[in-house]
Amino acid sequence: MSVKKLLSYWIMGWLLCFTTSIDAAEKLPNHIKWETNDTAPVWADPNAKKGGTFRDTIPTFPLTIRMFGPDSNGSFARVLRRNQLRLISYHPDTEEILPQLATHWAFDDDRKTMYFKLDKRARWSDGPLVTADDFVFGLEFMRSKHIVSPWYNNFYTKEIEKLVKYDDHTIAIVATKPDPDLPELVKDLLPQPKHFYGELTKDFVRKYNWTIKPNTGPYFIDKIKKGKSITLKRKKDWWAKDLKYFKGRFNVDKIIFTVVRDQSTVFEYFKKNKVDYFSLTLPSYWHEKAKNLDIHQKGYAKKHWFYTNSREPPIGFWLNEDKEVFKDRNVRHAFAHAMNVEKLLKTLLRGDYARLHNVTTGFGKYTNPQIRARNFDIPKVEALMTQSGWKRGNDGIWIKGKMRYSVRVTYTSDTHTARLAFLKEEAKKAGVELNLQRLDGSAAFKSFLEKKHDVAWMGWSTGFRPQYWGSFHSVNAHKPQTNNITNTDDPEMDQLIDSYRKASQTSERIKLAHAIQEKVHEIGSFVPAYKVGYFRAIYWRWWQLPRVPATRSSESFFDLFADDYGTGGLFWLDPEIKKETQQAMKTGKRFDSKTLIDNTFKAN
Amino acid sequence: MRLDPLTLKKIRRFRSIKRGYYSWLLFGLMLLLAFFAELWINNRALLVYYEGQIYFPTYGTMMPGNTFGLEYAYETNYRDLQKKFQQEAGDNFVIMPLVPYNAFEMDLRETEFPPFPPSWKDRHYLGTDTIGRDMVARLVYGFRICIIFSLLLLVVTFAIGIALGCLMGYWGGKFDLFFQRLIEIWSSVPFLYIIMIIASIVVPSLTILVLIYVVFGWMGMTWYMRTTTYKEKARDYVMAAKALGASNTRIIFHHILPNAVSLIVTFVPFSVAGGISGLTALDYLGFGLPPPTPSWGELLQQGTNNLHAVWIVASTVTALVVVMVSITFIGEAVREGFDPKLHSTFE
Repeated sequence: MSVKKLLSYWIMGWLLCFTTSIDAAEKLPNHIKWETNDTAPVWADPNAKKGGTFRDTIPTFPLTIRMFGPDSNGSFARVLRRNQLRLISYHPDTEEILPQLATHWAFDDDRKTMYFKLDKRARWSDGPLVTADDFVFGLEFMRSKHIVSPWYNNFYTKEIEKLVKYDDHTIAIVATKPDPDLPELVKDLLPQPKHFYGELTKDFVRKYNWTIKPNTGPYFIDKIKKGKSITLKRKKDWWAKDLKYFKGRFNVDKIIFTVVRDQSTVFEYFKKNKVDYFSLTLPSYWHEKAKNLDIHQKGYAKKHWFYTNSREPPIGFWLNEDKEVFKDRNVRHAFAHAMNVEKLLKTLLRGDYARLHNVTTGFGKYTNPQIRARNFDIPKVEALMTQSGWKRGNDGIWIKGKMRYSVRVTYTSDTHTARLAFLKEEAKKAGVELNLQRLDGSAAFKSFLEKKHDVAWMGWSTGFRPQYWGSFHSVNAHKPQTNNITNTDDPEMDQLIDSYRKASQTSERIKLAHAIQEKVHEIGSFVPAYKVGYFRAIYWRWWQLPRVPATRSSESFFDLFADDYGTGGLFWLDPEIKKETQQAMKTGKRFDSKTLIDNTFKAN
Repeated sequence: MRLDPLTLKKIRRFRSIKRGYYSWLLFGLMLLLAFFAELWINNRALLVYYEGQIYFPTYGTMMPGNTFGLEYAYETNYRDLQKKFQQEAGDNFVIMPLVPYNAFEMDLRETEFPPFPPSWKDRHYLGTDTIGRDMVARLVYGFRICIIFSLLLLVVTFAIGIALGCLMGYWGGKFDLFFQRLIEIWSSVPFLYIIMIIASIVVPSLTILVLIYVVFGWMGMTWYMRTTTYKEKARDYVMAAKALGASNTRIIFHHILPNAVSLIVTFVPFSVAGGISGLTALDYLGFGLPPPTPSWGELLQQGTNNLHAVWIVASTVTALVVVMVSITFIGEAVREGFDPKLHSTFE
């Protein structure tokens, strides 16, 4: 090593010491009051047994396992994202704050700063302790251009002012403005393993496509068979496994996610005992295909219906306002009036689902109850269309000049084909032609983000509080890779969203949220369809669940991590029952046939 | 038109093979029925007599309900109109086709849920599919699309295959060598994967599907044509024609091609069958024509997913088997008919 190089290292070393000592110079204020929570009720069964393999399926193989950047927001990203702990989480039922990576937290009086004491036991999966530096790097990471995630870049620059490190295990996160939901804002800032990433560079996106990064959650990725399966394994010595809120959870040793593209194939796999559960949420399965199942009648598998009371994903039609037809608001409203969702629910869906009225449903006070979805109403369609200068063509479809009210509806799931085919036939009566386009999940999502669709049939996942900036602010309109897939570009809407994001009083935020929902309704580029409000499944009888088998906002009995706060992983395998059942399946012995219905959280 | 005696002989021979001949009649009838399906499977009436006027709604633009004194401006529901006229017991009447449903509309009821089993009363002679669409209508209109697809495919692939194969055989040399290698390479492209990739990016229309199939399926015919042309070219009559100063075009079109006709004709039925099964397979896998286009593949998929509604899978499989078997019989008879070595058996 040359002298010059040695010298530069020496100088750099000094500089580093210097900067850290500046950080350390920040003093923790004296007036703050540390809080923690070790009194909340547990929702898992602490006596759950560990062990076993759980076999799950995914409809498409993820395009990448990198959690940031292009194509990283597919459906498997949920599993990856939730397999790491946050600073804090919420209790799934009472919504009070619970410790995760932080044992204690405190609020400053300005409602802008939140302090955290990190758990000194927290470890990365590759060994090192999680320290304040990982959080400092985490913020740097989220703001880095190299991760190619404009949304995150923007969010963590505009919403978070800074992150202060007091010592290795004490930090504060400072928001740019007072926020009534401060915990919600800051909890998503995850530590990133600096020892793993090192310096971020331009090739981040390519370099980490298939690299398994260290995490803090209960499982690690064990094996990736590209295009086929992903296997997770339980960390035997996971640092948090004996903590109060993690006891009795994340029980299975191994989870295999196999790609099975088609639901009915998954069902066959289940019947052959190659998969551990099958969702019966779809009416056609519960009422028909799984009605007289041999394995259920003999008691080898249980059926279970669970009512939830949670934030509903906005499922429906997302109209692309950049397309010529949808530039006119009347035409968008007419689209809503041409969708016979009510009849669809009553006939094809057998009355199991309910109509969705609002883009924000199930968010408590944040939901504006005044907003009702537009009903199927042909005279209204006619009034709106003629007002905008359209007339019915020879085949009954509206025309205006060279334009014809014929739009492409892009969707992903085969099970939705029948529903959309139904709506298509009804829409024809109202003079609207729908052309159905089913694409593979990843391909469809890409086309939505690139705004190539006319109409997207989809639902977004929901957060703790309603968020509008990503989906409706004009900043995100007319450009690819943003979530504003309707290309909503409305100055009043922008103003409302900006004030909503700035507002610090809960009451003010609620008022603004209501106004935004009204505006969404008025703009009409989102046509709400339905909400489910329950889930059902059939699973082998050796799978055990707590007394209340799921939480208020669960999406499945067998969600490994459940919602963003990681409240899932409640199920476990009872090896004795498994043995007994497998023997019975050979000899033909029967058990009691069980169909359970849980109304704990049923909304009236 | 006067057919030359040789052709007449071939046709006679074809007719004498009874199995093939009756299959041909059956298939012809099916084609006829399918191409005029609107006349017997339709939700539009054949004839409406209303207030002294006669309407024929089958073909042409749609007639809104208010034409017949109903209150809506979308297409008339002729089944309801018929009931209404019957109740009124006036002079007005509606004549509905045999199957009063089209391939798209769903017959949904308030109390029952589809699929509905076959019923004479509801005129769902083969029942409905899982979302209440009439099976007969889906089958017949699906067949029509299938047959159009395979005929289009046939014409284009044969045109390319014959032209190229002929030239390869006739010119030989470097041209032949070059295309031989090209075809070999091109043949090893995994066709089904290509279709899947394309179908996940764009929604294939009928033309796009035919195009894809042509692009990756034109090679088959070239080999046969190449060998035949090689063989014919070496014959004395071609030499004689050349000696007389006939041009290449004349030799190919007047001497070689007519002698290759029997080969081409023999391949036609099998190619049609291939087209039908190809499209059905693609639809079954979900990479074919976009829903809700009526298609046998989609019905097969529904049927296998809903084995409790046995009429779906049963009628689709029966239809498929009948069509395929009759085409195979026709093909067999054509081959026999065009075989010049009818009685020359070796013992």
